[in-house]
Order: sequence, then structure tokens, then C-alpha cells
Amino acid sequence: MKKLGWIVVFFALACGGSSGPTGEYPNVDCDDFADQRCVQVGTPEELLEETALLDEPTVVVLASGTFALAQSITIRADGVSLVGQGIDTSTLAFTGGTTQFNGVDVVGDDFLVQDLTVLDAPKDGIRVENSDGVTFRRIRATWTNEDDPMNGAYGIYPVKSSNVLVEDSFAENASDAGLYVGQCQNVIVRRNTVRGNVAGLEIENTQYADVYENLAEDNTGGIVVFDLPGNPIVGRDVRLRNNIIRNNNNPNFAPSGTVGIIPAGTGTFAMASRRVEITDNTYENNQTGDIAILSGLIVDSDPAVWSLEVARLVGDHDDLGLLPGAGPNTVTNYRSENIVIARNTHSGSGENPDISRDMGFLLALLYGDDPTDSVLYDGIGESMFDAEVPANNSNDNRVCAGGNTAGTFGNLNAIAQLETPGSPHFSLTEAPFAPYDCTSLEGGPVAEVVLP
Amino acid sequence: MALVALALSCGDGEFGGPVTVDLAASRPPERLSEYRLLAWRDGRFVYNDRVVPYELATPLFSDYSLKDRAIYVPEGATIAYGEDDVLDFPVGTVIVKSFSYAPDLRTPNEGRRPIETRVLVRHADGWRTWPYLWDEAGRDATFTPAGAVLAIDFVDPSGEPRRASYLVPQRNQCTTCHERQVSPGSTETFVTPIGPWVRHLDRDFTIDGVTQNPLEQLAAEGLLTGLPAERGEPTFDFRRIEAGELASLSAEELDRAARDYLDVNCAHCHNPSGVQGQTSQLFLNRENTDRFRLGVCKRPGSAGSGTGGLTYDLVPGSPEESILLFRMETEEVGAMMPLLGRSLRHDEGVELIRAWIASMPAETCE
Repeated sequence: MKKLGWIVVFFALACGGSSGPTGEYPNVDCDDFADQRCVQVGTPEELLEETALLDEPTVVVLASGTFALAQSITIRADGVSLVGQGIDTSTLAFTGGTTQFNGVDVVGDDFLVQDLTVLDAPKDGIRVENSDGVTFRRIRATWTNEDDPMNGAYGIYPVKSSNVLVEDSFAENASDAGLYVGQCQNVIVRRNTVRGNVAGLEIENTQYADVYENLAEDNTGGIVVFDLPGNPIVGRDVRLRNNIIRNNNNPNFAPSGTVGIIPAGTGTFAMASRRVEITDNTYENNQTGDIAILSGLIVDSDPAVWSLEVARLVGDHDDLGLLPGAGPNTVTNYRSENIVIARNTHSGSGENPDISRDMGFLLALLYGDDPTDSVLYDGIGESMFDAEVPANNSNDNRVCAGGNTAGTFGNLNAIAQLETPGSPHFSLTEAPFAPYDCTSLEGGPVAEVVLP
Repeated sequence: MALVALALSCGDGEFGGPVTVDLAASRPPERLSEYRLLAWRDGRFVYNDRVVPYELATPLFSDYSLKDRAIYVPEGATIAYGEDDVLDFPVGTVIVKSFSYAPDLRTPNEGRRPIETRVLVRHADGWRTWPYLWDEAGRDATFTPAGAVLAIDFVDPSGEPRRASYLVPQRNQCTTCHERQVSPGSTETFVTPIGPWVRHLDRDFTIDGVTQNPLEQLAAEGLLTGLPAERGEPTFDFRRIEAGELASLSAEELDRAARDYLDVNCAHCHNPSGVQGQTSQLFLNRENTDRFRLGVCKRPGSAGSGTGGLTYDLVPGSPEESILLFRMETEEVGAMMPLLGRSLRHDEGVELIRAWIASMPAETCE
């Protein structure tokens, strides 16, 4: 009789040359957390066993070196901190994994991850879900191969969580979004670098997010804000300020999906979003365009899929004036509305739209040899369009670019373009861009995000 | 009934005493044998008194591993049959699920050996999950909170050689499938069994030569109270697909079979209270009637490489354009679904879902 063979897949199968953990704690050890339960882990086995058994608040301090892991670090406890010796000193390496999982997979309130790198996770790098109080500090989530569609989807991924802080971190080479804040409430994202991803930094269906002093470069799209249809968390109150968004011309290597439609050379878009401020950012050399304000109907054209039952909605929405949806007691959130764009600088962008994607193709068609306008508005949902006398146009969606004096403004008249590409559209080259000359959000500015 | 009990269990002699579950211990026993729940004897699992084996109408696919399931209800306690066909398990209940392989699954009883046993214990404050890894000889299994990844070679039921990259889940990975939000959107979660539901149990199964409905067996042995004569529609009997009946199913049966397959294999996450599946708003649970959230012409929110270059989760009439089928079919790490517990394609499940999508009136998504 044939004997059934099995082999335990050992660590470090695919990690030739890299050194294992040192068992040394040069920068931080449990003495630094004297008032908390704390364990030091010096081997992959210790790390896996300690995290698997956690059920009380604990600091897990990692030694320096590379922890080669064939399995996920999975945490299901509140109050856990995962602390390494430094962003490039302690590394969790999942390279060559033969089974599927997220690198670090967390459900637990008051979670902190700090001073380490997560490399080559089979799926998401660090996914923290359904948690209140989440901090990512000085970490790197990356994949070895650049531009590889088989890289994991998201690097740094807080989702369905509240009171989230992501700071001084790096997210690179993700096949979807490097730093993805999804369906969260009360978020600060600051001083991070996102590079070589399809989407650099995404804020999706998120309420109250302050995104500042980040660097987004060499992605397909830099920093984007959007709602997806059918999600009960209607995004609102997002502030993008003082970021540098440059050279986001990396070819789109997403296998498809929502980010698959982003033309290379996209700086920022806000899609199906409301109460968004895009201010004081530096835009440079994004070859499709710097800022686009888009209706969700651009991607999902059936308004019915954007219909949401009011009873299911999460968080504040009464003051948003959302349009009614497809049935009684429903609203819809495809519209982008109540947007302020001000004091951004623009240089060298929009000169070579990516014609491999529909939106880039349309821009190439409409602008020819001229650079695209630094603010591009699809005009979807407006009651009045007039390419001859711009001031006659409606601004029902309250797109406010009056303070963006260093830029230009284009209304693409996108619905007409779908029927007849090349239909009338217009550009406004000088502030205040009437009728888009307003300078403040209706209902007051986005409130400061204060984390507890 | 006594006869059945005798046939299924070995009594105190084999186990040296009744089942022992220490609900107060801070850490579970190091050895599975310490529970005195089950043992591996002569190529099969044997159970102690009060431990009742059962099967499920449509099982969750786990790389073609053979599964043995059983439930233990403590002395003096009973499972209560509640409203909406929900079973309420008493504190001290233990659910055991054991995974094994044979070298050639066309002859599953030859050379079979146990891989792992998962123990789900009902404490006063909820369920706890404990993974145990068997030794090669099948003498005992050891508590393995950090799980393992095993390369396992075997011949599948159709005669195809396969190599599974088999995941013995970590203690916390159990939770990935077994946790639910207390209500949709809540950050408060709880752990729940996902196999022994009324509708999955409510058919006749033959175990060790005895054919019986597990619910009726539990009731007859006094371990289940309040079993009504009238119950909801049971889960489709997947053994019919395995027996090659796919092509002869009526339209109604095909829909039931496919929806129940998705319900069992996907909806532990993809339901409105599923912690990870909720993010996608793709709901594959049996109760979902919203076509968009069933995937029809729905773009995935966050699929990464899981789209396979396709645009919509489910395109009626076009299985090859449906991401849902692609993610079931692919064996690429990072693109597969479910997230955990599969490294191989489930041919019979894939063909079922392919037939189901193909049978839908064709639609174009835009």
C-alpha cells in the first residue's frame, strides 16, 4: 500500500541568503514597556505561537533581522502592539509562500504596529479590520518585485475601523493600493510615502479623514478619494492638504478591478465623494492630469446600484442632502459634490494622457497637443451646460475651485462625450473660474480630526 | 438507539473514562487524547460515549481532505431547537472536526491517515477554537496554536494526482471563518459554529453502516429538545453532484444546489455580518435576494489580482466572464477564494457554479 506522505513546509524555503532573526534587541525591548504585559520574540516560531495565543493586551517585541514566515501573523485580541527594532531592521518576510493569507491579519481594538517591514505578503500586507483604535507607525509594506500583478492587493490596509492613525510609513509595489483606508471613521494619514503602487493612497467610503504631508510618487494614481456603490458608509469630510503628488505615471499593472480603470499619470481624483477639501498640495508631472472631480456614474452607470437604504447607513449623513435613491427611504451617493480645491501648485502635468484607459483616451482626444487642465470636472449631474458662455453653466454640485489660482479648470461635459466623443467642452484658464468660483464648503469646513 | 450508540462509540474502556472538558483552564490540553473525545483506531476515528458523529448535506471544500465531524453534549445538558431553525448549544458542548487523507481518494479507506482535528468548545462567554495536529502514526494529536502548512500528495476522487499546500489553521485563523458581527456593521464580534446548522444536518446520512438523520438521532438520544416535525428546506444534497447528477438537475434544483454551495463555501465570510466578507458587499448567503450584492454586474471593490482581468463578479449567462467563477477556479495564491483553506480547485463545485451561471438568462453588464 502506498504510504501517504506529507511534508511540513519549513520556513526560509525561498529566502536563500537572507539572515534570520538575530535574537537581539538593540533599540527596544520589554524594559521599555515595564508597565505592560510584554513578550520578546526572537524566532519565527516564537512569533507565531505568541501571537496565536494572545488574548489579553500585550506588547510583542520583535528581535532585529528577518523572520521568514510560511504563515500569517493573525491577531484576535484587543490591546496588542507589534513592535520591531526599526523599519528596516525587523522584517516579516513571506516570500515564496505556498498558501494564501494576509501577512499580518488583525481584528482587535487598540492595535499598534510600529518599526518593522512586511515583505511579500501573499494577499494584503497588514490588514486591520473591524477595530477601534489602530496605529501604523514607521512601518513599511512592500513587495520585492516591481510592477508585478501577482503582488498582494494592499500594503497598509485599515478597513471598517475607527480612530485610525497611519504615520511615517511606506507602502510600495501593491497591485491595488499601497495605503488603503477603507470604510473607516476618524482617520489621520500623515507623513507617509506611497510609491510604485497602482493607486498610491486611497480613501474609500470613509468619514472624517485628514490626509497631509504625504508623498505619492511613481504610482499609476497618486491620492484618490471615492465611494463604491452599495456600501452603507457614505464617505464625507475628507481633507487632502500639503501633500506632494508627483510623477504618478507608472503603467497600470492592476489585473483589473476598480483601480484597473485609472489612467497612468493621474494625480488625484474624487469620485462619488462629498465634503472634500483638496488644498495646498504640490502637483508635478502627472501626465494624464492633476485633479479630477468625477461622478460615480463614470464607473458604475446604473444609478440603481448606488441606491442605499437610509436605515442601513452608518454614521452622520442627515446634513449631506443626499439625493433620493431608487426606492422609498433610500438615498444615492454617486454624486461628487461640495468640493473645495484651493492653493495647489501645478507644474508639468497633463501633457501625455494614458490612452490605454478610457478616461485618458477621452482627455487625449479633447485636448490634443495642449496639456489637460489642472482641475478636470466631468460635469455629470449639472442642469445647465454652455460651452460658449461658461458663466451660464450651473454649479449644482458645488465644485469650488475659486481659490485654486495657480491652476486651470476644464468641464469635460462627459455625458455628451459618451454619446459623441469630441462634443463641446470648455476650459477656464484664469481664476476664479466662475461659475466654479466658490471657495468654501457648504456647511462649514471639514472639521479637524481629533483622535482619542 | 442503544445499538446505534454501541456501534458509534467505544465506551469508557477505550478512553479510560468519560469525555473531560475543563472550561476553567486557561490553556487547552496539550494532547487531544486528554479530552477523551475520540481516537484513531484501525484507519478510522472512534468516539467516546455521548459523542455523536454527523455529516453535512453540502460540505465546505478543504482540498479534498476527508472530514469526520462529531458533537459532544455534556451530561445533563441538551441542545435546544430555537426559532428560525437555530440550534442553541449548551455550555460545555464540544464540536470536533477531523481531517484526514488517503493516498488515493478513490479508495478512501485504504492507507488513510489523520492530519488534524479542530476542537470548538462552548464556554459561558462564547466559543473557543483549538487546533490539534496528529502525529504520523495517528497515536495522538498535539495542540498547535500556530498551525502549519503541509505539502500533501494524493490522487483525487477522479483519479487526478494532486498536491495540496494544506493549511492547518492557527487558532486565530479559525476565527476568520467562524466570527460574526453581533449586528451588521458592529465592531463587536462573536465566534459561532458554521457546520451544524439545522438545514445542513437535516438529511439522512450513513455513518459506519447506520443510516439516520443526525437531528433525529440527537433528539432520540435525548441530546436535542424541541425538534419540530416541520422544518425549513434542507441544504441541497451535494452527494448528488458527486454522483454525477449535475446535468440532470431541474432549473430549480440547480439554483438550490448552487446557492447552497455558495452559502456553505463562501457565506461564512460573505454575509452581511461577516467581518471580512462584508467589506466587499458581496453577499452569497442563502437568504440574500439582492441581485447586485449577489454579484450580478457588480464590480469588485477590492479584489486585487483576484479579478483575473475580468470586470464583474457575476455576468448572467457568461461563466467565463464572472470573477466569482475565476476565483473558485484559480489556484494562484493571492487570487483564490475562499481566503483560507483551499489550495486546490474543487472540480465538482466549479462545474456546479459554471452550470448555474450559464443557465441564467444572458445579460450584458455596463
